Amino acid sequence: MKARFVALLVPPTLWLAIFLVVPAAIVSANAFTAEGLRHLASPVTWTLFARSFSIALVATTVCLAASYPAAYFIAGCAPRWRNLLLFLVVLPFWTNLLVRVYALKVVLPEAFQNSTGAVVFGLVHSFLPFMILPLYASIEKLPRRLLEASQDLGASPWMSFWKVTVPLTAPGIGAGCILVFIPAFGIFALPEFLGGAQAWMLGNQIELYFKKQQGSTAAGSALTLLLLGCTVALTGVYYRLRKTEGLV
Amino acid sequence: MRKALGLYTAVLLASLYVPIAVLVAFSFNASKHGVTWTGFTLGWYGELARDGQVLNELKNTVVIAAASTVLATVLGTLAALAARSHFRGKRLYATLVSLPVMIPDIVLACALYAMFDAVRMSPSLTNAVLGHTTFNLAYVAVVVSARLQGMDRSVELAAQDLGASPWEAFWKVTLPAILPGILAGAVLAFTLSLDDFVVTYFTTGPGDATLPVRIYSMVRFGVTPKMNAVSTLILAVSLALIMLSLRISRVPVAGGGR
Repeated sequence: MKARFVALLVPPTLWLAIFLVVPAAIVSANAFTAEGLRHLASPVTWTLFARSFSIALVATTVCLAASYPAAYFIAGCAPRWRNLLLFLVVLPFWTNLLVRVYALKVVLPEAFQNSTGAVVFGLVHSFLPFMILPLYASIEKLPRRLLEASQDLGASPWMSFWKVTVPLTAPGIGAGCILVFIPAFGIFALPEFLGGAQAWMLGNQIELYFKKQQGSTAAGSALTLLLLGCTVALTGVYYRLRKTEGLV
Repeated sequence: MRKALGLYTAVLLASLYVPIAVLVAFSFNASKHGVTWTGFTLGWYGELARDGQVLNELKNTVVIAAASTVLATVLGTLAALAARSHFRGKRLYATLVSLPVMIPDIVLACALYAMFDAVRMSPSLTNAVLGHTTFNLAYVAVVVSARLQGMDRSVELAAQDLGASPWEAFWKVTLPAILPGILAGAVLAFTLSLDDFVVTYFTTGPGDATLPVRIYSMVRFGVTPKMNAVSTLILAVSLALIMLSLRISRVPVAGGGR
């Protein structure tokens, strides 16, 4: 039993140690060199950080506002329709992100392209499923009798929505926001396609440092570490909200 | 109120599909400059079929996807099976295994870039396979785990009570029960690998581009019919794989499952 367990545990753990933990350690080591620290402290980095953060935040907010009514509607449908609608929500997610962004480039008016607005639109469009699914999951679990009770006690539909539905679906809202924010924050091809210079984000700068050799591994690592740190912090929050220990 | 919500949902869903539909339609448009319809043609696909570079990129895409799927399916299944036991540090283990799903792909891509750079492994298809296996492993583990959770463990124990060795019980009871999960995980891994752009871009050199990398470099030159055709092909393959995956994961299984 013991030997079998070790045989199961060791190969994947070893693989992740070599191709995830060690690389992350190397990135950290690169980032904490004199040059890496100089880039971490530089105003350029923090301007990009602030811009990426605000673009991701706006995209997450718009995504939440756009998704909630749809998730609410889907949760109230008969099971047959519900499954079909959920399938339609998820399907685009399994197709190539670049192809979907390119498709937006085909249909969006040129006057709208090359703007921060277009980047936000693209992010919302790309990550909608990440928001709708957790929202749907928590709205579907909502006990309807609580809504009826609040209305019996004199709350208007609007008031019982804000005082009952929203607080009770907060875990879904939180999870959806984190699931959208993380990839939006680290996005890089999309701002290049839809945004202009004013929508240049952290991901674009990292690409510049690493791939286009206009900088250094240390600089790129410093920015990567920044992204990783934010992700780990947000992931921690996510698991706390879901009260689980990882996905397996 | 409900009607308004339904209408809104329909519009939202349409907005997800309309751009893709327009893109697919334009890949059959005879006009060289997208916006007006001048007639049906398969010419752009013919042009693709004669383009040696595109064929080579297609080969690279499939080679990376196939190799990383095989590796990730084995490793991910082992990871999911190991996660069934209780042991010290399981929390940490579960976090480690799910990390590749959670972190933005650019973080994994850059970390791998930095490591391959540090050990002087120059960019290559092999590096891409190693990178793809890393994220695919996590997805396979998640899918197989879900299947294992739906499985009745007493069936395994019954097999052992009836005289099967642990190995036999695994081979004859557990494996057949979770096989649909493993296959679904493999198809998912293959799909994700075909779709991946970021990790490939950061681990390969200029000589070994894949189709998504090609799209990335072509989009700078704007919207072209040939691009539309490449994109449509990628969409068609992804769609076929999703359908396959749905088929597989719905296969009913004795001794548990959904």
